[in-house]
Amino acid sequence: MILRNSAVGLAMLLAGTAQAAEFKWASTTDPQTMDPHAVNSAPVLGFLNNVYEGLVRRGKDMSVEPALAISWEPIGEGDGWRFKLREDVTFHDGSGFDARDVLFSYQRASGEAADTRSWFAPVSDVVVVDDYTIDIMTTAPNPLFPSSIANWMIMDQDWTEANDAVVPDKEVGNYATINTNGTGAFKVTEREPGLKSVLEPHDGWWGEVEHNITRAEFNPIQNPATAVAALLSGDVDMINPVPIQDVARLQQSGEVDVIQGIEARVIMLGFDHEAEVLKYTDDAGKPNPFRDARVRKAVAQAVNVDAILATILRGNAEAASQLVSPSMSGYSKANAERPAYDVEAAKALLAEAGYADGFSFGLKCPNDRYLNDEAVCQAIVGMLAQIGVSAELDAMPVRNYWPELREDNYDMYLLGWSPGTFDAEHPVRFLVATLNEEKKLGSWNFGGFSNPRVDELLPAIQSELDQAKRQAMLDEVAAIIQDEQVYVPMYVQPLVWGAQSNVEVTQRPDNFFLLRWVTVN
Amino acid sequence: MFAYIVRRMFQSVIVLLVVGLVAFSMFRFVGDPIDNMLGQERTQADIDRLRTELGLDQPFVVQYAKFLQGAVQGNFGVSYRQGRPVSTILVERAPATLELAFVSGFLAITMGIALGVFTAIRRQGIAANVIMTVSLIGVSLPTFLIGILLIYVFSVELDLLPSFGRGETVMIGSWSTGFLTASGLKALILPAITLGLYQMTLIMRLVRSEMLEVLRADYVRFARARGLSDRVINFRHALKNTLVPVITITGLQLGSIIAFAIITETVFQWPGVGLLFINAIQFVDIPVMAAYLMLISVMFVTINLIVDLLYYAIDPRLRVDARAT
Amino acid sequence: MTETMETPKAAPKSRMAKFWDSDFAWSFRHSPVAVIASLFVVMLVLVALFAPLIAPHNPFDPATLNLMNGFTPPGTPNAFTQESFLLGTDDQGRDVFSTILYGLRISLFVGASAVLLALIIGVVLGLIAAYFGGWIETLIMRIADVQLTFPAILVAMLIFGIAKGITPPEYRNEMAIYVLIIAIALSDWVQFARVVRGAALVEKNKEYVQAARLIGRGSFPIMFRHILPNVLSPVLVIATISLALAIIAEATLSFLGVGAPPTQPSLGTLIRIGQGYLFSGEWWILFFPACTLLALALSVNLLGDWLRDALNPKLR
Repeated sequence: MILRNSAVGLAMLLAGTAQAAEFKWASTTDPQTMDPHAVNSAPVLGFLNNVYEGLVRRGKDMSVEPALAISWEPIGEGDGWRFKLREDVTFHDGSGFDARDVLFSYQRASGEAADTRSWFAPVSDVVVVDDYTIDIMTTAPNPLFPSSIANWMIMDQDWTEANDAVVPDKEVGNYATINTNGTGAFKVTEREPGLKSVLEPHDGWWGEVEHNITRAEFNPIQNPATAVAALLSGDVDMINPVPIQDVARLQQSGEVDVIQGIEARVIMLGFDHEAEVLKYTDDAGKPNPFRDARVRKAVAQAVNVDAILATILRGNAEAASQLVSPSMSGYSKANAERPAYDVEAAKALLAEAGYADGFSFGLKCPNDRYLNDEAVCQAIVGMLAQIGVSAELDAMPVRNYWPELREDNYDMYLLGWSPGTFDAEHPVRFLVATLNEEKKLGSWNFGGFSNPRVDELLPAIQSELDQAKRQAMLDEVAAIIQDEQVYVPMYVQPLVWGAQSNVEVTQRPDNFFLLRWVTVN
Repeated sequence: MFAYIVRRMFQSVIVLLVVGLVAFSMFRFVGDPIDNMLGQERTQADIDRLRTELGLDQPFVVQYAKFLQGAVQGNFGVSYRQGRPVSTILVERAPATLELAFVSGFLAITMGIALGVFTAIRRQGIAANVIMTVSLIGVSLPTFLIGILLIYVFSVELDLLPSFGRGETVMIGSWSTGFLTASGLKALILPAITLGLYQMTLIMRLVRSEMLEVLRADYVRFARARGLSDRVINFRHALKNTLVPVITITGLQLGSIIAFAIITETVFQWPGVGLLFINAIQFVDIPVMAAYLMLISVMFVTINLIVDLLYYAIDPRLRVDARAT
Repeated sequence: MTETMETPKAAPKSRMAKFWDSDFAWSFRHSPVAVIASLFVVMLVLVALFAPLIAPHNPFDPATLNLMNGFTPPGTPNAFTQESFLLGTDDQGRDVFSTILYGLRISLFVGASAVLLALIIGVVLGLIAAYFGGWIETLIMRIADVQLTFPAILVAMLIFGIAKGITPPEYRNEMAIYVLIIAIALSDWVQFARVVRGAALVEKNKEYVQAARLIGRGSFPIMFRHILPNVLSPVLVIATISLALAIIAEATLSFLGVGAPPTQPSLGTLIRIGQGYLFSGEWWILFFPACTLLALALSVNLLGDWLRDALNPKLR
C-alpha cells in the first residue's frame, strides 16, 4: 500500500527542497458538494480530505494517526473516549480551532439532515471538558470508535454560523456547498462545480509539508479514453482510474507510470434468498433454485475467477474468499480458501439439488459502477452456460440499478462492497444481518438472507474489547457465510492510477488521493 | 399577418407546455436520483424522507405543476447534483456551447459552400469526385468515434492540440470566452471539427445540387451566350441564387448542431450545456434536465417560427393557407 | 392488354428491356460509383443474411465461448488455448469476424426497420397535414416541433423505460432491439413528414388532383394513389441517407449506454466496446467493425447521392 513514500522521502532528502510546481489531476466524477457532512460518498470525502481534517486521520498505510487531536484514551470501562486537541491550529480564514468547533461539528454531522449521521449511532453524548479537551461518550464499549471517525471533518463554528450553513443541505445547497473553510493542508481558491476546482497550500497549516505544490487543479473527465489521452499528451499530471486494458500500454510509454494497488472493494454475486419463484426468462414462475445452498455453491464452483482475472482484469486483481480483502482488520485467515473452479463438481451439485438439466434465470448487472463490470457479467453468463445454467444478462447504468435491486427485480445480481470502517464487521452489518430498519441492520441485504447465529454474534462483535475473542466470532461468521454461500465473492477490485513519471504520489487502499503526499520533480 | 403571428405564438406556448409534460412523465424512467444523493450507509427511512422532501413521491403532473409555477417566475429550481440554482448553472455553461456551435457552424458554412461550389463546377473532375466521397466518411462513422480518433491523432500521437476542456477562458461580464487566449483557441479546433463535419458535408451537398440546377437554368445559359466569363456566371449569378435555400436549411440545422453537441461535449469534456445535460441524465438531476429541455424547445420553436414567418413573407401562395389555418 | 396476349413471351422481356433502357437505369450503368456501391450493399446484406452459414462461430451462444481466448490478435494463435482467429477475438473471447457478421445482421435489421417505420409515420402524417390543412396540419406540425426538441437519446430512454414498465420481465432482452427501432424511428420521422408535406402542398393544387376531386374520388385514394407517387422521389433519397444515419445512430446510442444487449452485440455495440481498446493496442476489436460500418454507411450514402442526382429531373 505504501508504494512510493520511501522514494518520496529519498527524493526530499536528496533535493533538499524540491522545486515548487503546479499540478493537474483528473478523475471520472466531480465531488458533488464541498460540504463534508452532506454526502457520505468516496469522491466527496476523498476530495475534502485535502481541505478539511478530522480528530484523527489515516496514514499512508491506513493506520490511524493524530490529526486535530494529539492523543486519545478510553474513559472508564468503555464509557467513551477522551480526545486531547491540538493547539495553534488555524482555519483557512485565519480563525482559531478549539473544542467548541468539535462539538459544533458533532452536532452538524450527526443531525437529521447529515448523511454522515450513521457514524455517530454509538455516541450518547459529547462533552467539552476545556478548550482543548473533549469527551465523546458511547452507549456501549466501542473499541473501534476512534478509527471510525477518520472522515468526520471539523468545521469552524463561527464561519458556518455566519454564512448560515449550520445544517447541511443536499437538496437545495447552502454556502458550504460551494465554499470551504477547513484546517487542511490545502484550501479551495476556485470552484466551478462539474468543471474545475483549484487548490492552493494553506500557509498556516500545522503539519510538516511534504509536497512541493503551489497550485493544484482538479478536472473531472468522464470519458475514460479522453482521460487516458489527456495523460498521454501531458495535459494532466495524474488520472484516476486508468482503464485496466490501458495499463500495459501506459507502462511501455516511458513517460507515464502506473500506480497499482488493491482496493478495499470486493466484487461478488448475490442471490435472491427469499423469493419462492424465479422472475425472469422462460423459467419465470418456477421454484427459485437459489434458495438451495447447493445451487449457490455450484455457481461458486462454475465461475472461473482466475480466467476473469487473467483476461478482463489483466492480472491486476486478486481473488477473494470472503466479503473483505486480506488487508482489512478482522479478515478471517481461517477461511482464506475459496471454492475451486470445478465444472464437474458444480454439475454434480446441481444434479444433487435436482437441477441436472439446468435452468434459466435473470442476472442483473451495472454497467458503469465497477471496473469492467459489464464484461465480467458477460463472462459469468458464458461460464454458467458450461454447467447448463442459462443466464439472461440485463446490464444497466447504476441510476437504474439500485432501484431494481431495492424492488427485488433480479434472480442473481452483481455487487461490490467497500467496508467504510476497513473492518470485517462492516459487510456483516450491511449485507448479511437480517434486515432491521430500526437498528439499521441489513440495509443492503437485498436478497433477504437471514441466519439467527449471525444476528446473535453481530452485537457481540461490535462491543467486544478483546481482540482474540472478537476475531474468533468474526471467524465463525465468515465460516457461516462460506458454508451457506450467501454471496459468491470473486475478486478484490484493483486500484489503478496513472501519473507522469516526474510525479510522486501515494496511493491508499480507500482510493483517496491526497495532495500533501505529491511531489513534482 | 399580425393575427397569424399571435396565433403562432399561442401555438408555441402550447408546444412548450406539452414538451414539459412529456419531459416530466419520462423522468422517472431515466432512473432514481436518490441513490446518488445518499451514501452507502443510508437506510430505507433516509430514502423515503429524501424522496418526500424532493416531492418525488408525488404524481408527475403535480411535480410538473410545481416546476411550471417556479419557471414562470424565472426559477428553474436547484440542481440535485450541484445544490445551486439551475438558472445560474445554465448561464455559466451556455457560452461554451454557443462559442463551439458558432465556430463549428462557421466552419461548416464556409467550407461547405466553398467545396460545394467547387464540386458543382468541376462535376466530372477527379478532385470533385474524391471530395464528394471522402466527405462522406465524416458522416459514415459515429461522431464519438471521430472525436476519439481526432484526439488520438492530434493530441496523443502528434501532441499538437489539447485533448479535453476549453483551455483558458476570459470573463467578459458574465460571459466566459475562449476566443481571447491562445489555449482557448487551440482547444476549440478539434471539437469544432468533430461537431461541424456533419453539417459541412450536408451544406456542401446542398450547395452542389442547387448549383447544378441553377447552372442549367435558362438565364445562366443566356448569360453564357452573352459571353460573360465563367467566374462572373458562377459566383455573381449561380451562387447568389443558391444561397436562399442554403440559408434556410442552415438555420434549421442550428438546432441539430446543439443536439449533436451533446456527444462532442462528452468526448472532449467540453464544459457546455450538452455535457451538463449528459451529467444530469447520469445523476437523474431532474431540475437540470427539465430546464435544458425547455431551453432547447424554446430555441426550436423560435427558429421554426422565424422560418415560417420568412416563408410567409416570401411566398404569397402560403398566405392563403395561413389564413385557412 | 391485347398486345401482351398476342406476344406472351416478349412481354416480360420487354418490360425488363424497357427498364434497362430507361434514363434511370442508363444513369446507373454509367455511374461506376453507384454500381460499386450497390454491389457492396448487396454483398453486405447477403453476408448478414447468411451469417449462420458463413460464420465459423456463433458469438451469441455463451456456452461456446472460452474467456481464455480473449484478446487474441488476428491470425496469431492465442497464448493459452493455441486457437487461431482470422480477425482476432474481443474481450469475451468471441471471434471478431463472426461477431461482425452477426452484428451486421442486427444493425441492418434495426436500421432498415427504423427507417421504414419513420417513413411510414412521416409520409402518412405529412400527406394528411398537406391535404387536409387546417387544425389537423397545425396539430401535426406542432407535434413535429415537440419531437424535434427531444434528442434521440432521451427518446430512446423514454421508450426503454416505458417498455420496461409494460413488458413482462422474461421478454426484456428481446425487447431491447425493438425499442431501439422505435426510438430511432421516432426521432427520424419528422424530416419525412416535412418533406412530404412541402411537396404535397405543391401537388395538391395541380390540375390532376383537382380533376380527381371533381370526379368524386375520396380523400385517401387521392392522397395515396395520386399525390404519393409524385412526392416519392425525395422520400426515397431521404430514406437512403436515413438508413446510413440510423445505423450510425444505433452506434451512438450504444455509446451513451442505451443499445443492443452486450451478449448480442450490434455493429455499433462492437464499436462502443472496441473504442475502449484504442489506446491499449488491441486495435482489431475497433478497427474491423468500424471498417465494416464505414463500408456499409459509405456505400449507402453514395447510392443516396447518385439517387438524388438521378431522380432530379432538372439535372437530366
